[in-house]
Amino acid sequence: MLGLFTVVLEILAVVVAATVAAIVVVRVSRRRRQRRRAELAAGPRRALLAFAADNGEHGAQELVAIPEDAWRAAEPGALALLGKLRGEAHLALVSVFLQRGTARTALRDLRSRGRVRRARAAQVLGDLELRQAVPELCRLLTDRHDEVRVVAVRALGRIGDPAAAWRIIASLDRADPVPSLLATHTLVQLGAEAEVTLSAALDHPQARVRAVCLDALGLLGATGSVRRIARVLREDSYLDVRVAAATNLGKLGTRTALEPLTLALHPARPAALRAAAARALGELGAPGAVPVLVELLDDGAFQVAHEAAHALRRLGRPGEQALVAAVEAERGGAHARPSSSASHAQEALALSRVGAERGERVGAGA
Amino acid sequence: MTHELVREILRGADVLIFAYFVALNSSYLVLIAMAGLEFGRHLRRAPFAGADDMFRSPLTLPVSVIVPAYNEGPGIVAAVTAMTALRYPRYEVVVVDDGSSDETFALLRAEFDLVEVPRVVPGEVPYHSEVLSVHVARAHPETLTVVRKTNGGKADALNVGINLARHPLICMVDADSVLDPDALLSVAKPFGDDPLRVAACGGVVRIANGCKVIGGRVVDVRMPRQWLLRIQVVEYLRAFLMGRTGWSRLGGLVVISGAFGLFRRDLVVEIGGMATDTIGEDAELVVRLHHHLRRRRQDYRVIFVAEPVSWSEAPSSLAVLGRQRRRWHRGIAEILRKHRGMIGNPRYGRIGLLALPYYVVFELLAPFIELAALVLLPLGLWAGAVDVGFMWRFVLVAYGYGLLVSLVSLFIEEVSFHRYPRWSDLLRGVVAAILENFGYRQILAVWQVRGALGALHGRRAEWGTMHREGFDTVRESAEPVGVGVDP
Repeated sequence: MLGLFTVVLEILAVVVAATVAAIVVVRVSRRRRQRRRAELAAGPRRALLAFAADNGEHGAQELVAIPEDAWRAAEPGALALLGKLRGEAHLALVSVFLQRGTARTALRDLRSRGRVRRARAAQVLGDLELRQAVPELCRLLTDRHDEVRVVAVRALGRIGDPAAAWRIIASLDRADPVPSLLATHTLVQLGAEAEVTLSAALDHPQARVRAVCLDALGLLGATGSVRRIARVLREDSYLDVRVAAATNLGKLGTRTALEPLTLALHPARPAALRAAAARALGELGAPGAVPVLVELLDDGAFQVAHEAAHALRRLGRPGEQALVAAVEAERGGAHARPSSSASHAQEALALSRVGAERGERVGAGA
Repeated sequence: MTHELVREILRGADVLIFAYFVALNSSYLVLIAMAGLEFGRHLRRAPFAGADDMFRSPLTLPVSVIVPAYNEGPGIVAAVTAMTALRYPRYEVVVVDDGSSDETFALLRAEFDLVEVPRVVPGEVPYHSEVLSVHVARAHPETLTVVRKTNGGKADALNVGINLARHPLICMVDADSVLDPDALLSVAKPFGDDPLRVAACGGVVRIANGCKVIGGRVVDVRMPRQWLLRIQVVEYLRAFLMGRTGWSRLGGLVVISGAFGLFRRDLVVEIGGMATDTIGEDAELVVRLHHHLRRRRQDYRVIFVAEPVSWSEAPSSLAVLGRQRRRWHRGIAEILRKHRGMIGNPRYGRIGLLALPYYVVFELLAPFIELAALVLLPLGLWAGAVDVGFMWRFVLVAYGYGLLVSLVSLFIEEVSFHRYPRWSDLLRGVVAAILENFGYRQILAVWQVRGALGALHGRRAEWGTMHREGFDTVRESAEPVGVGVDP
């Protein structure tokens, strides 16, 4: 037993010493590597900044001529710079990357066995906003690794080719779909040209797909789709989808949305839907919604009453008058504590006053 | 004959204790190895993680940051100022003044030009105290809300904050925490990447003592000046950064620090908010969340992100440290007792079969075994059950293995995040890992045993007095406010 302990002790001492030495080695080698990389990147960085300052008009050939090891050290900075440049300068820097063969390498890496390499390549192609990479990136939407699919979706959004819309929508219809919020953001990045596809996808059998398309249409300001969205609000069998429809009708802000939203406030509807519809009516800015919102101030569901009060606040003067009336009506009664409607109205009015004061101060400052 | 029997029992006990130490440290090594793999994975993916896209997206889920505050006068303004300047597209800060007797509220009112609004507080989660008033910042009513309430404890304050939170994600942060600018983006990112499954996400907490804190930001990371604090730095690295990352990778994370954690509000409301009957309300919330979601057979994830971080003050005096550790261990004991039905129960998957049994054997019982070793080993020597040669080898192997575990943590920190850039700090870390074994671990075990026994006997939990020096200084002595089971 003692002998065993002694051997274990000796091994332990060696491992402890080796671990301490490894810590030192790691630090020394990292610092040396960082120093070397900084030295290599210094020249290219100066050239890149001069190129950007010159709006990309001069210096492209110098950047193309930078030796490979120095460019590798500077490439993360160059890609970051790419995201900050716009217009001619952006196109000129993209051209530098293309001439250096970065896109060619990235396109090849999209078929690499390593998932990290595939994801990195997709990221680079998105940064370069390379349209010719869209078919390959669309293929990546069915990659077996979710992190690769996520980067591919993001890259497609950066490129902004509406032709990718259907493929992105299809990537939502699988057992492990890309995150809904990411898909929505990407579909919005594809621009107004994607509206037709998104509107058609409101009939998709998968609820998640319909909800994503509704959000994307709302963010795109697709007023041409209001009737279709109103139909979803009326007829869809999934609550989350109907809530999304109500929310986005509010965002689109057209008068035709008033009726379907008012119908969605019926007491028989779920509280989440009524709350969303009340909020949407506030965003719609239609004074015609005041009477129906006033009725909701007394609603038993906290969220519905709360949203109705704040929707009235957002409706401006007619809404505020209704809120004041709700508070005044209470004062005439003999309640020891304010009722639900008066409490919600008081809260909304107080926030309205704060907002008005702020507006006045900003106005005075201007 | 009896003497011989006693000797045999003592010898057997010593061997068992030795085996326990080996198993304990081996389990730490496994968790640290898991953490190492996770850090490697995280760092390789950083270039395409899409943090900037998340910052720019109008769809990023908004967050309500809930900050319970009790007598936080010296640091509250800097803390709230820093929290309102985090890099995140849409969030609000809800400060809950839990009946402070100092100038906490007055300072906030003066700094942010607070105006009272008659907010209706929904009773979605129960709270027991009285909400006195709700205020918003005149210039940014959507961004900052301050609630005044009668004193009811941290959990009660959090429940009021949860009720008033308007956003789908809630982040609970201690008032003395200093968050890295990207901290909220990092902990919220898993919710964006996997919104259907991620239920909660914990962020790492590091020690702020010794660091230079300016304008509510840690601008220069340094080791503290006191050895007591340096030892805690190593301990935090090993147990909290590595340990929790390891558990996260194993799918068995049961502790998210009350100092920095993000949760889905709807789920927290569903399970009734924070429990007010336990001192470790933060960990209890996570265990209850597991309990709830497992029973519902829901596919979910509770995860931990290792970077960036929340910085917190660690106790610099033995008295305060003792109170903190008694509290933490008491919290563990209370949670395990409350959720004993989950322990070893296959219905709760890895939580029931792996994580909670681990907490019983290697967290709750560890200080008892350590103290038993300190008594039984000399007793064995005195009784002739073991000789001096055995004893010193036993001690060296047991503590040497512990030292190795701490050094491996330092190694992985050096490979991955290397937050301490000075050579002198590195050296201090190594020395602290050695010194930890001489007195610190032993006195810690005494406090932990007292904490666990306190839970067993149902004694009233002690919180002790708190002392704040505030931000913008190199803070050296204070106790984290209302910390739960862990920092």
